[in-house]
Amino acid sequence: MDWEAGRSSFALAVVTAIVLIPFGILLARWLAFTQHRSKVIIEALTMLPLLLPPTVIDFYMLSVFGRGSPIGAWLDQVMGVQLVFTFEGFVFASMLINIPFMVQPLQRAFAAIPEDVREAAWVCGLSHWQTWWRVELPLAWPGLLAGIALTIAHTLGEFGVVLMVGGSIAGETKTLSIAIYDRVQSFDNAAAALMAVTLVAFSIVAIAVVLTTGAPSGRSREPSP
Amino acid sequence: MQDDPIRLAVEFFCDAGELVALVGPSGSGKTTILKAIAGLVKTRNGHIKVGSVEWFEVERGLDLEPQARRVGLVFQSYALFPHLTAEDNVAIAMQGDRARARDLLARVNLAGLEHRKPAALSGGQQQRVALARALARDPAVLLLDEPFSAVDQATRQTLYRELAALRRSLSLPIVLVTHDLFEARMLADRMVILDHGETMQSGTPAHVLSRPRNARVAKLLGITNHFSGVFRSAPVGETMGTLYWGPNGEGIALRTHDKRRLPDGQRVIWVIAGEYLGLQTTPGENGDTIECRLGDVLPLGEITQCKVRIAAAPSDTVTVNVPTRFIVDHRLVVSMPVWLHLDVAGIHIMPTRSVENARWSEPDR
Repeated sequence: MDWEAGRSSFALAVVTAIVLIPFGILLARWLAFTQHRSKVIIEALTMLPLLLPPTVIDFYMLSVFGRGSPIGAWLDQVMGVQLVFTFEGFVFASMLINIPFMVQPLQRAFAAIPEDVREAAWVCGLSHWQTWWRVELPLAWPGLLAGIALTIAHTLGEFGVVLMVGGSIAGETKTLSIAIYDRVQSFDNAAAALMAVTLVAFSIVAIAVVLTTGAPSGRSREPSP
Repeated sequence: MQDDPIRLAVEFFCDAGELVALVGPSGSGKTTILKAIAGLVKTRNGHIKVGSVEWFEVERGLDLEPQARRVGLVFQSYALFPHLTAEDNVAIAMQGDRARARDLLARVNLAGLEHRKPAALSGGQQQRVALARALARDPAVLLLDEPFSAVDQATRQTLYRELAALRRSLSLPIVLVTHDLFEARMLADRMVILDHGETMQSGTPAHVLSRPRNARVAKLLGITNHFSGVFRSAPVGETMGTLYWGPNGEGIALRTHDKRRLPDGQRVIWVIAGEYLGLQTTPGENGDTIECRLGDVLPLGEITQCKVRIAAAPSDTVTVNVPTRFIVDHRLVVSMPVWLHLDVAGIHIMPTRSVENARWSEPDR
């Protein structure tokens, strides 16, 4: 078992999820409530990572943020940020690819909140911020949990991003899925099996979280007569 | 959610302690009016003033947010917060003051159920929580959007009584949206009849129901006894004109008071409220009854709804409610002769215009 790879995997998964939470909430809430014309296009764009091979996204990331590109050079020289073959860049790429996994369940959870429940909150004197904090978030909570679980599970299993953008640097960007690949290449099946089982177990836990929290509370139950 | 602009041409007033019912078919703009008062719907023009405070005035660019308007609104679906207990649903509107929330819940007869979530409450209990929440902010106006439509008949009767009792202890204007005339007649001091976003008529329920302004209002009110006829003015020096039943005045003649508003020979629509009609099994002594045949008989518990055909003009049918006991005692069956007593004081005549004729036949949406 490559503990270093395990730690890198979990670090990437957790940081990706944490960074995605505020962004995912803002985007999902906007998509759920807006009537704006651009909604369809934005929604389609958030789904794009589901359809494209990760290598395509990574190719564009390398092209745009690599040191050879104007943006990459500017980031490096002016901001001192490198997005290729670093943990930061690794998180950024992972974030892009995980957008649909965080946004989809959250958007469905926000969309399931009846319009008149939000109106009732305003009429009760709650500001838009209070309405969000005391009504919308508690009702969308299962969607957020599902989004976090899906993002973490999906990041742990990610292979393409980590290889192309991360560069498989031990202790930093070498994750479990790459370590399994390496072990199999060097005929160390026992180590590969242990790591594979770890990922399977974690994925099962994540799916269990998604399924048990999937039904928003309070609306799935029939009122008693 | 509606994208198309809704045209509203409505004006009404509601005094403190008064209950005004907005009545109309679905799509007539009732709910939109309530939401405009609450600030949940933005209107392009208009003026909303509650007490001495302006809430909405286009000319001055004044448009208070819903949070600043102090309305109590009971939504048709109640719109309770499903994740909060009954007590928290009310307390959230009063900065978390749980003691006062419990008082309010007790006032709507929900003591002991404070810690239940909405899903664990019956429809009637949910409606009471919604009412308590609407009262929580000490509102300047109470708005009720079809609050009784989602509960069964027995619960509805209880809630009617509770609302009537609660009203006496509140001195604030109450606006009730309903499509149920029975409800409006029982609860409202005044009713406003709406159709296609326009006020058709307003007044006390008794006045509107016995004196609908035109044929469309009569139809909206579900007045079953509406007929066509031709009006003949009273001769000079007399006060009683004659109403001839039937579209061309070919039917029987009814003597009716001439207010000198209609020209001689005017085609009219006329209605008569149920309390001016009666049935008897023998002709009246003064010849003030009309011979009929009994048509359909529909027992409705204590009362029975009878349709009777005028013997002289069988195409004209009048609907009369009589005590069921009357039918049983006289062993009345279909096609037996009966005599209709029609008190001409209850006749309300409206001139026919081509527009109103067209609208009369317009289907309900």
